[in-house]
Amino acid sequence: MSSINQIPVIEAKRGNPLSKVFDELVRFCRSRSLFILHYCTGCGAIELPPAMTSRFDMERLGIQPMVSPRQADILLITGYVSIKTLKRVILTYEQMGSPKYVIGICSCTVNGGMYWQSYATAKKLDEYMPVDLYIAGCMPRPEAVIAGLQQLMNRIQSGEANSWEDYFRNYDYYLGNQQKLFGDNWQTPTDIITEAKHYNLMGEGTFGEHTRLLEQHQKPLEALDMRLGHNLKEPTE
Amino acid sequence: MRPENYEAQRQPPSNEYELNFGPNHPGIEGNYALKVKLHGDVVIEANADGGYLHRGFEKLMEQRLWIQNIALVPRICVPDPSPMELCYSMAVEQLCGLVVPKRAQWIRVLQLELSRIAAHLFTFGGHAATTGMYSTMYWGVTDRDLLLDLFEEFTGGRVYSIYNIPGGVRRELPPGFLQRVTETLDYIESRLPDYDNLFFKNQVFVRRAKGVGVMTREQALAWGVTGPNLRATGLAFDVRRDDPYQVYDQLEFEIPTEESGDAWARTLVRRHELMESIRILRQVIDALPDIHGSIRAPIPNPLAWNVPAGETYTRVESSKGELCYYVVSDGGPKPYRVHVRGPSSMHAVQVLEKLAIGSRIEDIAQTMFSLDACPPEVDR
Repeated sequence: MSSINQIPVIEAKRGNPLSKVFDELVRFCRSRSLFILHYCTGCGAIELPPAMTSRFDMERLGIQPMVSPRQADILLITGYVSIKTLKRVILTYEQMGSPKYVIGICSCTVNGGMYWQSYATAKKLDEYMPVDLYIAGCMPRPEAVIAGLQQLMNRIQSGEANSWEDYFRNYDYYLGNQQKLFGDNWQTPTDIITEAKHYNLMGEGTFGEHTRLLEQHQKPLEALDMRLGHNLKEPTE
Repeated sequence: MRPENYEAQRQPPSNEYELNFGPNHPGIEGNYALKVKLHGDVVIEANADGGYLHRGFEKLMEQRLWIQNIALVPRICVPDPSPMELCYSMAVEQLCGLVVPKRAQWIRVLQLELSRIAAHLFTFGGHAATTGMYSTMYWGVTDRDLLLDLFEEFTGGRVYSIYNIPGGVRRELPPGFLQRVTETLDYIESRLPDYDNLFFKNQVFVRRAKGVGVMTREQALAWGVTGPNLRATGLAFDVRRDDPYQVYDQLEFEIPTEESGDAWARTLVRRHELMESIRILRQVIDALPDIHGSIRAPIPNPLAWNVPAGETYTRVESSKGELCYYVVSDGGPKPYRVHVRGPSSMHAVQVLEKLAIGSRIEDIAQTMFSLDACPPEVDR
């Protein structure tokens, strides 16, 4: 009769030893099934097919390409990012579900690489989005790509790979750099501040002058102008 | 049963809609996009949307020394970088009047044809993947890796070799290298019947590719199509034979053609070209041991190299088509103007826009891969 009352009630809150075990288990599972977003931004993408296919076989580590950003875990930035691509990359990054990880491949994502003096490329990737890991080289061999991914797996398992929290905590800094590049009325369809509130990841850097500027300029986005220049026909009776 | 104030809303026909195809799409080749307008699933209008890979090469090259540009040019076309180096080197050689030693010319042909085979295997893989045959992609990419191993051995780089410099090549071949090339070629040739059964004769591929993206010879000539895409319409034009460079005039090879001009014909032309490349390489391997001498013409101090003023236009046959460089020098240490005429700028923009019309949405990717367009070369 009284045995039920004697079982201690486990409070599900952080710091509890059981929840720590649960967190570790989740992190272990997370690090063993990673999906890479299929977005080839630059020339480093040519070393990904060898890394994925029979010779080096990324799949034995539980890593696979994925076509949709909503279901992907890793955003691989393979090489230089031109400014036109960077807009799409940021859009894609904000669409991905948390936790998400960013890997910068090739020297171009680190400091501009060969194209340090080019007018068309963004030089340092970590000014625009938090980066978990860099794999340097021009371009890194498939072995290096796989070694980098293994390092990311270890970091996920030990709980160090949480750059995605950084994006919410320091949103003002990243938004400021984006505005510097794309103009003051730059906005994406994703509402990062609401998301930060949802995840309870508000930091000192979430708000600032740049987010205030965003609120001034923000307006509901209209359907993309396709520039195909056709007139919609009147429906026939 | 309608309410009295009911009024039918006038709406656009719902069977016509617009789609963004790329840049984040598994069917597109690289970072490139198309905006397509569809009726049902048939394309009625397609607009190419490039510029995602623009780095401003032609401007960057004006700001670097003649010799530094050698490291820059292969980045223009990632899957097939060797013709880029060669074409630029040829332009500088013509401006300086350098005569390339015989042995260097033969080694250059060796490198070019190895690069052509690697690029074609990669294209087959990509093309097969767009028709849902992933095994061919796995095979093609893995067999290409054997060639990349050879590149690594004799140039030092897997993808970007940076091996040609104006005046010759940078290093002598390692001992026993030609034997290993022979072994790799034998292996790839022995794999071709397997590829035939899996891909080229596979009814899944043949039925999907026949009649897709058809262009006539007149259209191809009017649109500036070159390379295997032009040969698939029945015109046997090849820069290697019609305007020979290096030692191609001493080699025996045929120019494979097909008549129908569709995606199937273009792929078959590439498959025959692969055989011809193996044939050329065997001749080079036979001839190279008897050709002795220097591999590099003497050039002045490359860091203080003022190339004589003038302008020149060189062209080579890359695996995608005719690749040309227009180089102007004002006698200074850096080029005054470099213009790259890449084959893909025609194939991926004006040709793809027209060939996509009338095809179904799932065939756009196949048309693009059968044209073998290379987006980094379009945007430069």
